[in-house]
Amino acid sequence: MSARVSTSVAVLIAALAALALLTLTYGQVALPLADTLGALTGTQSTDLARQIVLDIRLPRVAAAIIAGGALGMAGVLMQALFRNPVADAWSLGLLAGGQLGVALTVTAAAFAGPAAVSFLTLFEGPSITLAAAAGVAVAALAMLALGRRVGAITLLVIGLMLGFTSQGLTSVLLHFAARAGGRIYGGWQDASFAGVAPEALLWLSLPILLGACAAVATAKSLSSLLLGETYARSLGVKVTALRHAVLAATVLLVAPVVAFCGPVSFVGLIAPHFARALAGTARILALLPLAALGGALLALTGDAIIHAPWEQHFLHLNAILAIVGAPVVILILIFSPAVRQWR
Amino acid sequence: MLNLQSLTVGYRNTRGAVLSGIDLSAVPGDFICILGRNGSGKSTLMRTIAGLQAALGGMALLDGEDIASMRPATRARRIAVVLTERQFNPGLRVDDVIALARQPFTGWQGGLADDDRAAIADAVEVTGVEPFLRRFFSDLSDGERQRVMIARALAQTPHLMILDEITAFLDLPSRVEIMALLRDQARQEEQIVLLSSHDLDLSLQLADSVWLLDDAGGFSVGTPDQLSHSGALGGAFDSGAIRFSPERGRFEIAASGVGCRREA
Repeated sequence: MSARVSTSVAVLIAALAALALLTLTYGQVALPLADTLGALTGTQSTDLARQIVLDIRLPRVAAAIIAGGALGMAGVLMQALFRNPVADAWSLGLLAGGQLGVALTVTAAAFAGPAAVSFLTLFEGPSITLAAAAGVAVAALAMLALGRRVGAITLLVIGLMLGFTSQGLTSVLLHFAARAGGRIYGGWQDASFAGVAPEALLWLSLPILLGACAAVATAKSLSSLLLGETYARSLGVKVTALRHAVLAATVLLVAPVVAFCGPVSFVGLIAPHFARALAGTARILALLPLAALGGALLALTGDAIIHAPWEQHFLHLNAILAIVGAPVVILILIFSPAVRQWR
Repeated sequence: MLNLQSLTVGYRNTRGAVLSGIDLSAVPGDFICILGRNGSGKSTLMRTIAGLQAALGGMALLDGEDIASMRPATRARRIAVVLTERQFNPGLRVDDVIALARQPFTGWQGGLADDDRAAIADAVEVTGVEPFLRRFFSDLSDGERQRVMIARALAQTPHLMILDEITAFLDLPSRVEIMALLRDQARQEEQIVLLSSHDLDLSLQLADSVWLLDDAGGFSVGTPDQLSHSGALGGAFDSGAIRFSPERGRFEIAASGVGCRREA
């Protein structure tokens, strides 16, 4: 790891820790920093402070960091695999595909009867993660097939449109599911880290950890693929096997995010560009930690803003992410030489 | 040492075999130019030798080993290619592109060791790409990109280098420079350099050996002198508009060139 990358990693970890600590101190009840630290370390703190910090705020903050990191890494993988600077799990419709997968599963259970619903509820973590994974995988395969035929920008537009279609279908399906079998997974169509229960953190982080390992394992070969398929083969890469491995890693990283946090927009798209600027290289292995930390930082920033002590809770995570993210995408589309070449 | 043994190249579809039953060999230090008109099968032959496309029959051996059945990683240590393909990823800088050549030699992380850095430094120096190492590859001019890709191939320290129409986008001085560079490289590093080109004059002046492909699937091999005097060059390229002059060793506009023919 070059000095530039390791310095950036250290600075980002420090920034992330500081922001996380700050986010833990405020909300409906403001806690002094000393009490927050005390609750975290288990020393000198009231039961109430401990409960607020450990049971309510920490799972949310942890979910933001884990999900943001996963989306950042998935963005690096997808931008390399699709050879497209505006590819990510959200923009190419993978997140919406995952939502549709969950919605289909829930609807099927609702119509199958109460036994199916209670089974699904009992194994809520793994079952919705699996359903999301199926949806993400189908969307990813479809986009990969399309990506060989159309240019980068066309693929982006198609991905966004398919995303809208899937979200529309999801909304309609969940409506019928709610009428048929009671409300399951309601209020999940908007992105949020606040809904992640402490026991769900395991199901969120386990697949992501596996996905991160797979991403690191494919990083070297994926760097060769940056030169195009033929050059990658001339460098000894088995391209088809690599594609499958990268796809599997992407599904592992993205599916739990969809299942527990909803369609978190822009994080995965922006984090890789941030990582490339910091690293000064496009080598995947150098980008992965930076994009993970950058994604986590961005997601946590969004979460910190919406949970600031406003008069009422009316801010949505995706609204904040769009205000930050959309202008960046516009700048990329206008100024990136790589995009110019593909238009 | 490169041996082609009754190698037949082409496609398993209606296009079928492009070149059949080629028997040839080349020794380290050979600078070989493959000449032929568009569609004569130059790229197909080169891709097959590089192991990027399956042969229809026969085989190509490098240092006694069948290239097609080599492990991909082994092949990547011995054969480097430069192609006309230009589908590159965003965000790649020139130093990244050249460093990727060392991937077949590095561990799972792709980290560079001292000999990797030395190979890269040599390639950078020989090709003179030092001034744009930190620029984005997609920002370079065609000529600069071509140099970078050649630097990348050199950094791979191959036994066999295969370069497909690399001089197409370059002006005359750059073409001369690059072809001469590759010839010197072949001599000094004991590599076999296989280069396809439309640059007839230059190829005939520089090549140790010429593989000549005509439109009908015919194949002749020899030194530039042998081929020009045997009439093979004329056979492959002569048309109504140009013809090869064995005396002068170059192509000339035919006396009754189509461009200036008048109604009698």
